[in-house]
Amino acid sequence: MQEKINKVIWIIVLLLILSFIGLFIYNKNKKEEYTAKFFYMDTYIYVKLYDINKETADKYIKEIENIYKKYHELTDRYNAYDNVKNIYYIKNNDSEEEYIKIDKELYDIIEYGTYYYEKTNGLVDISMGNIIDVWKKYRDNKNGIPTKEELEKANNIVKIELKNGTIKNNHPNIDLGSISKGYTTKIVGEYLKKNNINKFLINAGGNVLVGDKKQNKEYTIGIEDPNNKNDIFKIVKGDNIAVVTSGGYERYYEYEGKKYHHIINPKTLYPSNNMKSVTVITSDSALGDILSTYLFLLDIDEGKEYINNLDNVEAIWYTNDNKEIKSNGFDKYEYKTK
Amino acid sequence: MNIKLNKNDILLIIVLLIISIICIFILNKNDKKNKVATVYYNNELIKTIDLNIDKTYEIEGYNGIVKIKVKNQKIKVLEEKSPLHLCSKSGYISKSYETIVCLPNKIVIEIEGNDLDTVVK
Amino acid sequence: MEIKKIIYLSMLLAITVILSIFESFIPLFNGIIPGLKIGLANIIIVYSLYIYGFKDTLFLSLLKVLLVGILRTGLFSIGFFISLSGSCFSIIMMYIVKKTKLSIIGVSIIGAIFHSIGQVVMAIILLKSFNLIYYLPYLFIFSIFTGIIIGSISKELIKKIPKYCN
Repeated sequence: MQEKINKVIWIIVLLLILSFIGLFIYNKNKKEEYTAKFFYMDTYIYVKLYDINKETADKYIKEIENIYKKYHELTDRYNAYDNVKNIYYIKNNDSEEEYIKIDKELYDIIEYGTYYYEKTNGLVDISMGNIIDVWKKYRDNKNGIPTKEELEKANNIVKIELKNGTIKNNHPNIDLGSISKGYTTKIVGEYLKKNNINKFLINAGGNVLVGDKKQNKEYTIGIEDPNNKNDIFKIVKGDNIAVVTSGGYERYYEYEGKKYHHIINPKTLYPSNNMKSVTVITSDSALGDILSTYLFLLDIDEGKEYINNLDNVEAIWYTNDNKEIKSNGFDKYEYKTK
Repeated sequence: MNIKLNKNDILLIIVLLIISIICIFILNKNDKKNKVATVYYNNELIKTIDLNIDKTYEIEGYNGIVKIKVKNQKIKVLEEKSPLHLCSKSGYISKSYETIVCLPNKIVIEIEGNDLDTVVK
Repeated sequence: MEIKKIIYLSMLLAITVILSIFESFIPLFNGIIPGLKIGLANIIIVYSLYIYGFKDTLFLSLLKVLLVGILRTGLFSIGFFISLSGSCFSIIMMYIVKKTKLSIIGVSIIGAIFHSIGQVVMAIILLKSFNLIYYLPYLFIFSIFTGIIIGSISKELIKKIPKYCN
């Protein structure tokens, strides 16, 4: 009897040890998904890496955070940082130099912005910090709206002039809010791909970028319903795409029963109300960010024509009377629930 | 090495095994629709909340206490210290792709599940 | 206390600390049930309980928790309190059941079981997450096996090296 018990127990112990070793090896090489959350650029950034072991994930998540942190500091309009020449520094520089030298990263993003200023006929304007400031003042105090005169007085915009890694020291009031999130997300995506981390999902405050399929499955991305924040009105699927939404329903304030949101039309100097939201799907998250702002400011018909003439860019509009309008090729991204 | 169990040891093992199996059975029965919300501060998981229990929780955020309320398998932020109170205004969430983000307090509340990979807004 | 005894106890302390730290580098079941360990360090605790008795072992165990806390988990961190609670539960219960007719293996099983209970109870208190209780029955089953292994090893130890100890 005793011997039998002994035998059985020894077999169990042996099995246990074997399973320990097996589990240990399995755990060591197990590829899982790892997520990280950061708060930069006045938004919530969510990063998910798939099929990766913990060590590598930790390393790259740290690097990703550093990239967002760096661009957060470079594009910060209100604060100076030690050893960082950011847009606050550009605006408040009181040196005598005619041109001031800035970091390549900041130079590139400003250049990108000015390039698309031309491309969007001045609707995506990174030099209108003065106007944004006026609106911000009213939004923070939640009382009233600025008068036309006040806005026009602020509208003495200083033109941004770039030259060989330097920017003209004429104190431009730059606001990169409409491009920084998409642009930085693009930089992060390129960084990950360069290091052979191909399966990832990034959501930086309405700027989604996904990499290669994970477990042979496309990513599913819901688009929030502007009327009901607890719901989504459309699901988009795909891999290696950027999905960017612009809408007036997330950040706004109310005055005398009217809602005033944060996307200001540089032509009228007032928030644009052509639609409730627009979502752009493209492969380039920086372009997606710019186009979503551009389309939000354009009239829907005009925007639709513009998108239909572009390759590899699709969009869906949510109109003021709660209808969906899709660009011609949008359907191939639409996820149909069974 | 010899493993020698006396009668009492064997009895103990049997009793413990039975207790464990009964416990697994009971707990799993209770566990049928175990909806769970997770609360993060910065990047750190600080709390998991069972949505089956209606209760109010207090969590330390960046600006102070964040009060969270669970009711009918839904969760919302009741009170928090922030300039615009966006996250207490955002109301109840209950679906797996929904999140409540309290930027000033660096608090994120998520509901576990995997219906969708993410949501743009 | 005899100098000889102090020396032996400090050697035991060093071994438990090394075993705990060694074990913390092996993330056995990390993905399945967090915090699951064989508890190699408990070999020494069980051994010491039979050779030196309750008081010395409790002291040994507390010092172990403190040292591992300093070296690995972080002093007064959540992990520190969880392991403190586990160790205390375990030793007190082993001391109680040692007086019954259970063999060293049975005592060691009880130790392993209450180690889990102590840890889970503290984790529930500190993390305020009652859901952790769902792990407990699985930890019980696991503890039965680790208890048998640890008890058997301790028994051999007592057989092989009792003479140096008194």
